Amino acid sequence: MAVAAHAGFIGGDTHDHIHPEPQGFIRKYVFSLDAKVIGIQYMVAAFLFFLISGLLAEVVRTQLLVPRGAILSNDTYNGVYSLHGSSMVWMVIIPLMTGAFGNFVMPLQIGARDVAFPWLNLLSFWLFPVSAVILFSSFLIGAPDAGWTEYPPISVQGPAGTSLWCIAIFLIGISSTMTGLNFMVTIVKMRAPGMTFTRMPLFVWASLATALLNMVATAALSAATAALFMERQFNVPFYDPTRGGSPLLWQHMFWFYSHPAVYIMILPGFGIVSEVFPTFARKPIFGYKMIAFSSIAIALLGFMVWAHHMFTSGMAPWLALPFMILTMVIAVPTGIKIFSWLATLWGGKIHFHPAMLFSLGFIATFTFGGITGVFLSSVPFDYDAHGTYFIVAHIHYVLFGGSVFALYSGLYYWWPKITGRMMSNTLGVWHFWLTFLAFNVTFLPMHLLGLWGMPRRVAQYQLHPEFQFWNDVASVGSYVLALSTLILIYNMVQSLLRGRRAPGNPWNARTLEWMTTSPPPYYNFRTIPAVLKNPYNFGEPLPYIGLDEAESAGSTHPPAGSSPLPAHA
Amino acid sequence: MAAASSFNATHEAITVRYNSVDHAYAEQRDIRLLGFVLFLISDVVIFSAFIFAYLYLRNSVPNWPPITKGGHQLPRFDVAYAAINSTILFGSGATMHSAMESWKRLDKPAFNLWLLATIVLGIAFLGGQGYEYHSAQVTWAGSTMGASFFTLTGLHGFHVFIGIIYLCVLYLQANRGVYTGSKYFGLTAGTLYWHFVDVIWVALFFLFYLW
Amino acid sequence: MEGATGVTASIEKSIAFVFAIVVGGTTSFQLAKDWKSTGLDNQVTKLLLGLMAFGCILVILAAVGVLGGV
Repeated sequence: MAVAAHAGFIGGDTHDHIHPEPQGFIRKYVFSLDAKVIGIQYMVAAFLFFLISGLLAEVVRTQLLVPRGAILSNDTYNGVYSLHGSSMVWMVIIPLMTGAFGNFVMPLQIGARDVAFPWLNLLSFWLFPVSAVILFSSFLIGAPDAGWTEYPPISVQGPAGTSLWCIAIFLIGISSTMTGLNFMVTIVKMRAPGMTFTRMPLFVWASLATALLNMVATAALSAATAALFMERQFNVPFYDPTRGGSPLLWQHMFWFYSHPAVYIMILPGFGIVSEVFPTFARKPIFGYKMIAFSSIAIALLGFMVWAHHMFTSGMAPWLALPFMILTMVIAVPTGIKIFSWLATLWGGKIHFHPAMLFSLGFIATFTFGGITGVFLSSVPFDYDAHGTYFIVAHIHYVLFGGSVFALYSGLYYWWPKITGRMMSNTLGVWHFWLTFLAFNVTFLPMHLLGLWGMPRRVAQYQLHPEFQFWNDVASVGSYVLALSTLILIYNMVQSLLRGRRAPGNPWNARTLEWMTTSPPPYYNFRTIPAVLKNPYNFGEPLPYIGLDEAESAGSTHPPAGSSPLPAHA
Repeated sequence: MAAASSFNATHEAITVRYNSVDHAYAEQRDIRLLGFVLFLISDVVIFSAFIFAYLYLRNSVPNWPPITKGGHQLPRFDVAYAAINSTILFGSGATMHSAMESWKRLDKPAFNLWLLATIVLGIAFLGGQGYEYHSAQVTWAGSTMGASFFTLTGLHGFHVFIGIIYLCVLYLQANRGVYTGSKYFGLTAGTLYWHFVDVIWVALFFLFYLW
Repeated sequence: MEGATGVTASIEKSIAFVFAIVVGGTTSFQLAKDWKSTGLDNQVTKLLLGLMAFGCILVILAAVGVLGGV
């Protein structure tokens, strides 16, 4: 901390760090060190990439309107769905889960002024748009065509853009690792006084588990993509079976990362809905410790299930059984969470705010996707469904119906905190119902198509014209899904332009981020409050002491302590 | 909100942890130390991933060293030469530890001596590694054995190279008075990093030369 | 790279053996001296020093021909 000034403090001469806020545009908004600004940067960039990748998905659905393929050549189609998948996973959901909400909400929730390493955070962020630009620019020289999993040997022989894919994924992997490390240290070392581990908000628990996954698993992805890059550019044999390499090696290394990555993409979502349910049901969360510890259990078990993606790949058959059992076991901590949320809702005074609606929709669709996941973990069923649209349906139920619904929920929940403006609830409700219905219209038929044997990643299905009806239904659903996003965009824009000013705590929530102004000041809290209990005991007084009354009342005057005082080394 | 006086008392009881600048430093130091150790762990994962690749490739052929398309078996790596080079690197770990010990008992001349010795031994190791690359009979792109050997030892050599630069910076900083007898986190981090690259070499030495 | 023959290999192994005894002994001594130190940095240092001493044992085993095959 180069410049750390000491704030005078009501309770005594404690040494606390309040950085002076930079005033220049570049330092304040572009290369900001403030986790909140970085969170917003992640949010804006990732939302942009969300729209781009969403358009790619619409192209895919349009192509499949007719059995012979409506608009694209087979090669272009391969590039489009490969980039749709890669970008949705690495450039949209992971950055939104950890980068956006993690950066904005987590430090506030633990009562910290910033993350542990602001410079590292800045670097993590800027690697992200750079890698996204590299990823999308692969279209210019021949987009990667082996799907988001880029299995060799196809990816080794693939178009030139596959090398750009390697670079982009390597960079975003490094960025993820650094974010994970940063969050881990922040959560372990920088919690407000009195905030023991069992008093942390559940989103923080989820962020902790995610940080562990990010830190450990992502390095394997970096190694795998580096090796793929070396093989493509310097002809170094890792994966090419004709030269002693092994395509299965890639699958092991890739899934050792990418299975934990699905938990990176869902655990913060679990955290978000765990915040939303008690707030809008006005009830203490049911099973706080079980929800918290099951996040860690999922993270640890998540390292031991990767080969269930490889049942049909020719891996040693004796491996299938332990991986099948472990995969089924991982449904247990997930089920614990689901039932805890349902028990939280039970008898609660439920407010159907858009954030709550999306969380409720999350339970429905994610559970559905989770159940098809348990199907797929069983080896005989996987032999049948592997590589079909059933997989596509499953992954979209957990990633869209799970992660994206949770992200929407978090967006509606924290939007007033982030922007200081309220959103329109009516539009939010419309957005939810349209999204929820269109989502199911789009992806439910894919289960049928998959069970009938329609393979994924095909540009045409001329041998099976009978698949056309449900494909068309899915495509129409996807168009409505795109339109529903326009409602969200309109809602955000009108909120920013003329939305009602948000009070510090519009939902009467109890976690720490609501105990400061909306938007929070640069230093988050004038004095760091002390924490007496976990935050979910609705009906009791707030478990904090030392809250600044002016701030909770929404004053915008900077406190005396924020002026830069002499620095120490 | 509680009344001001009772608030002050309770708040103080819970929050007053640090009453001097040194404690603020200690807090920062703990944060950075944990961050650095976690960085080393994520680096271990990168090496582990490549080591897994090596073991996987090695396990997927009947003979190791592998037999080329021409039908002759690739040679093993020279154990005796690598053993000497290994002891040079391990020795640099011992000198680094001595440098750190000297710093802790405020013996700056000894610190300088041990740190320079570490840098020299590190450079010697890299030189030895360079000679081994130069005289190697397998190539990076020629076989899976070469691919895993040069990738892993190259990655390790890169870490040693970065480590040498890091140690040089530490030497200059220490002699410009950046660190004091109680505030020397940079030196701690440098020592941990250097021990870490030594220990990675233990694994590589066993996997490529002894097994 | 190809194992040096006869005399050269023996000399190299002897050198490695002596070096490894010296370095391993030093490292073990340092480890023993620091054994009771606490704190994250010291704990990690001890772990790494121990592994380095183990590395020296590997070198010794290689020098006397137990490990390393040829």
